Amino acid sequence: MKKTDFQYYIGGAFQLGIGFGVVSLLSRWVTGNTILSSPETIIKYGLTGGIGYSLMGALALILFGILAKKIRDRFHDQQTIGDVLRQRLTPLGYWFMISILLVISFHSIFVQAMGAGILLHMIFPLPVFSGMVFFLLFCFFIGGAGGIHRIHQLAGINVVLIFSAVIIIPVYFYIQEGVYPVYEGIKLYHPYILYVKNMEAIWFILTAILIGFGQVIIDRATWQRVFIIKKEKLRMTFTLAGLIWATIPLALSSLIMIIIFGRSYDSIYSLLFELIGKINSTLLIVLFVLFCFSAISSAISAELHAIVSLIIKNIVGMLRPLNNKEKWRFTYLFSGAICLLLLFIVSILPPSPIELLFFFGNIYASMIVPMLYIILGSKTLPALIPLASVIGTAGGFAALPIMENLLTIWISFSLSSFLCLGYFIYNLLRTKLTVKV
Amino acid sequence: MLPIESFSIYIMFCVLVPLAGAFTLLFLFVFEKRIDLLEKQKREIALERELQTALYNQLNQEIQPHFFFNTLNSILALARLDRKTELIRSIETLSKLLKFKYRTINNFISIEDELTYVNYYLEIQKTRFRDRLHYEIHLDNCVNKAIIIPFLIQTLVENAFKHAFERHIGEALLKIKIIKIESAIHVSVWNNSLENYETSPPDGGLGLENIKRRLELLFPDDETSVQLTDQEDGTAVLAIFPHVIMSEKLEGESMQ
Repeated sequence: MKKTDFQYYIGGAFQLGIGFGVVSLLSRWVTGNTILSSPETIIKYGLTGGIGYSLMGALALILFGILAKKIRDRFHDQQTIGDVLRQRLTPLGYWFMISILLVISFHSIFVQAMGAGILLHMIFPLPVFSGMVFFLLFCFFIGGAGGIHRIHQLAGINVVLIFSAVIIIPVYFYIQEGVYPVYEGIKLYHPYILYVKNMEAIWFILTAILIGFGQVIIDRATWQRVFIIKKEKLRMTFTLAGLIWATIPLALSSLIMIIIFGRSYDSIYSLLFELIGKINSTLLIVLFVLFCFSAISSAISAELHAIVSLIIKNIVGMLRPLNNKEKWRFTYLFSGAICLLLLFIVSILPPSPIELLFFFGNIYASMIVPMLYIILGSKTLPALIPLASVIGTAGGFAALPIMENLLTIWISFSLSSFLCLGYFIYNLLRTKLTVKV
Repeated sequence: MLPIESFSIYIMFCVLVPLAGAFTLLFLFVFEKRIDLLEKQKREIALERELQTALYNQLNQEIQPHFFFNTLNSILALARLDRKTELIRSIETLSKLLKFKYRTINNFISIEDELTYVNYYLEIQKTRFRDRLHYEIHLDNCVNKAIIIPFLIQTLVENAFKHAFERHIGEALLKIKIIKIESAIHVSVWNNSLENYETSPPDGGLGLENIKRRLELLFPDDETSVQLTDQEDGTAVLAIFPHVIMSEKLEGESMQ
């Protein structure tokens, strides 16, 4: 395969083994969300919440690993989630699902960009705009124009930086401060964190697993990786990626303790970035900043690459046939446009974090059963199946004023599941009756 | 509330697990290729052992005296009748067939090669059965270069002769069909005999079992199957295994 071939942009030239597969998945899944949401869970749900957050990511990836083998067996000639949807859905259902995917993709990449914006705002005394120009330009060259090959070239460096930071910084601080003063400080200022017998946390963990799995099952970048990892190693790769990923939020939660043990806080989301003020070694500050940027940039690059692949292969390519040259031209055009849009939005909006963890949780939860039906079902499915996820989401949002946040996510999940189950039973009965007649 | 001891253990755990994660990754990078190589070697040894069994079965079953003497008698008859061209062709074909049987040492060959030798065998049988034997080979264009385990079709064809055509009088019809369905190759060998030859052990059943095991060893991560079915008009054996092109397989092995 030539480097100028568009297939090379989407899937690269060779299949990945477990080592590179895990690195590729880690660089996709250690994101701004991981950095920003870990403090949120530990503050809201205590130490149990911290462990639960790690468990969520690990289980989501492990469960998807089981599905990945089936996906690869059934859709061996495909390259993206869009290709699979085209094979399994009617044209109406396909376009409907692609629209939902686009909305989720843009939201996801926007959240990442906001995270980068907050970080830039906290570190450099410059306007966010100038920092974001460089940051997004970097992401454009790696994920937008470079393709999967370039992403994988940098994935190794990203993972080395991530692990260096999450190992060295906590060790440095706990050696310097000791565990006892941190414990005493937390007991004084934030005693709620130390309560572990907390039913709410268990409820949170169960819901988080649902959201995490929903997030992975419709993640465009993860689907692309399913098709480029060696088939026989898929399950092991996802299992190990899940287990190794789980270590990172745990390390981040130990860092949070360092930041909050002597004081209270203003905003949960910017807590981890406040670590910079606490670190008095320049080397460690550089390491921490590099960690944050590499985590966020690798996630944005992977997202950007996945969105552009989806747009070119499954949207523009479906509307009119494109030659190789046109595909590349559109790749530059769309990735440039997405980066400009992100730059524009992040510069205009104030650098304050938005509700991350449960925002869009309803969509993710309501996507699980329709996606499972799409992956495991045997016949071409109608538009009702993607519609079930929208109905589920709408039901969840409608219940928001009268119920608590976590419960509405279960409502979204149940609604879409019932609709899919209803269609499944109807289909089963119809087939049986037709056979009898 | 969590006591200080538990908190210390929690912090120790949080600080140490990334280290374990990093070591796991490092271990994978250093040893993954070696583990793969060991697994591949183990599989190859098992495959070779099975191939030896298959070879033994082949030699034991089909280069048996009665096939050999029948063929020699047919050749002798051709010599007595002074049909020189047919005589030369028969000896040449028998020599090529024996050469294939004794010289095959690879764990997989192309379907094209396997069919060449099946054709030699059928040609020899044609000198024996003459007008009684009719055979058809249907082959999809795209499967020529795909890989197959040696003696798969050969064993099924020889089983058809041994358990069907040699036992019964009347027309001997044989159909070999090799088609690609999705990403799998379906090889079916059908004959017009209604006798289920798996009930006549040990060699028929042994041959199919050996094919099953060798397919599983060659394609450890894919679904394979070998099934014998009694149909209304005859008996068929269907073998299903993944479609892998010879060059891709060789390339994959050289990369590993």
